[in-house]
Amino acid sequence: MIRVENLVKYYGEYPAVRGVSFEVPKGRVVGFLGPNGAGKSTTMRILAGFLTASGGKASIAGHDVFRDPIAARRNIGYMPESCPLYPEMRVIEYLKFRAGLKGLGWGERRKRIDYVLKRCWLADVRTQLVGTLSKGYRQRVGLADALLADPPVLILDEPTAGLDPTQIRETRKLIRELGREHTMLLSTHILTEVEMTCDSAVIINQGRVEEDGTLDAIRKKHRTDNLEDVFVKLTGFDDRPAAARGIPVASQVEEGDRPR
Amino acid sequence: MRPLLALIKREFTGYFLSPVGYVTLVFFLIVTGLLFAGVVDGLTRTGSQGVEYPFAALLGDNVFWFVFAFIPPMLTMRLLAEERGTGTLETLLTAPIRDWQVVAGKFIGAVLFYLVLWLPTLAYLPVLLNFNWADRTCGVDPAHAACSYLGVLLAGMMFLAIGLFVSSLVKNQLVAAMISLALCLKFVVAGYALGYLDANSWAAKAVQFLSVPEHFRRDFTRGVIDSRHVVLYLSVTTVCLYLTVRSLEARRLRA
Repeated sequence: MIRVENLVKYYGEYPAVRGVSFEVPKGRVVGFLGPNGAGKSTTMRILAGFLTASGGKASIAGHDVFRDPIAARRNIGYMPESCPLYPEMRVIEYLKFRAGLKGLGWGERRKRIDYVLKRCWLADVRTQLVGTLSKGYRQRVGLADALLADPPVLILDEPTAGLDPTQIRETRKLIRELGREHTMLLSTHILTEVEMTCDSAVIINQGRVEEDGTLDAIRKKHRTDNLEDVFVKLTGFDDRPAAARGIPVASQVEEGDRPR
Repeated sequence: MRPLLALIKREFTGYFLSPVGYVTLVFFLIVTGLLFAGVVDGLTRTGSQGVEYPFAALLGDNVFWFVFAFIPPMLTMRLLAEERGTGTLETLLTAPIRDWQVVAGKFIGAVLFYLVLWLPTLAYLPVLLNFNWADRTCGVDPAHAACSYLGVLLAGMMFLAIGLFVSSLVKNQLVAAMISLALCLKFVVAGYALGYLDANSWAAKAVQFLSVPEHFRRDFTRGVIDSRHVVLYLSVTTVCLYLTVRSLEARRLRA
């Protein structure tokens, strides 16, 4: 459903994504992992059509996101990181607007809005101003928006960031349920979340794919039960003391070494 | 078509959800009300001080256009700059809507609200046209009023398109308003130089070509539709809208 080939994105001179390739088959829930600044959001923004790649190919349900952007976007429900919304609108107004923007007909619009309000537990805040909602509710509005047109593919950028433990648990439950009906790519850097909600994972670091496969396969390959060890190993964080890595530490620096 | 209509509706109703819309409305009502009071005063005076062309007194005034130039930037500053600033542009541009539809939706929404601004001035028409309620005829040919409103619509479209383009370039609403005001004023203050220029020089002709108050003073308010003015307004509008679409596209490539 999602196919990414050799994707490259430069921000000026800086390569944020350097030749990322992966594939998400239909019906799979894939965790998109990586440290901050690895290129997760950039890759997802390219897939959603917000950014144009500097090179490479990407397609959603067979529609190239550069050549045929409208058809590709019709097949995506995208929830951006931090979930930007219009604070001056009411929840129901916002969803009506988004449903219109996604080209839903009148009858269908009402049906889908009722459905997503129920699905994302928003029914009790339907007439509340978006600006007065808590972070958790906003996140749900974003998710409801992504679900509106009943797209086969969902792309969620850090859906649980900034939520409290109860909300995180609810959101994960919802994601698991949605995973049965939708193909899903969700980014996160919470590893337990991937273990709880995803079938497989793509780990990227510094704009490159480091690992791609089912969770079991990744664990087996790195001979560990803990995904965190794999993540740390791949993304290169070394928790040995600096001295052990041959980096001079303050106590070792002689008085005479001080630059004049 | 549906996405476009949904966007127009949101942009238009959005003005009524923000204080900016109401502030602009009140501000505009006060200005046009004062001008109307001045015109009525002129119309009821006897002797050589009277008003010959009521619409020219209303819309051909340099001061009016100077004040008016502040209005389109207030209407357009929010359109794209706010979405860029708060990040909602991301949700908008990832919906299945084409870039030109985004620009068209926002522009049409702004133009509709701009027309709402002018709506209360229709109440002045019976007085300005010397309308006779008994036999329903106008004492003054109504065509020049129609020309004036057409001019107001076209000139407004030009200013709004300039504002929309500027709004697509920056993230801060205030910056957008200031820059578009600076650009809109070019078309207003240009005419102020006329008194210092030789009427036959090319400079005077260029200034007359650009100066919106001059267009209204000489042509629209007297029932003349000069194609040069119409072409200027429409071409600036088209170019600005085109540049806005390109600027949205460029943003996708940049960051």
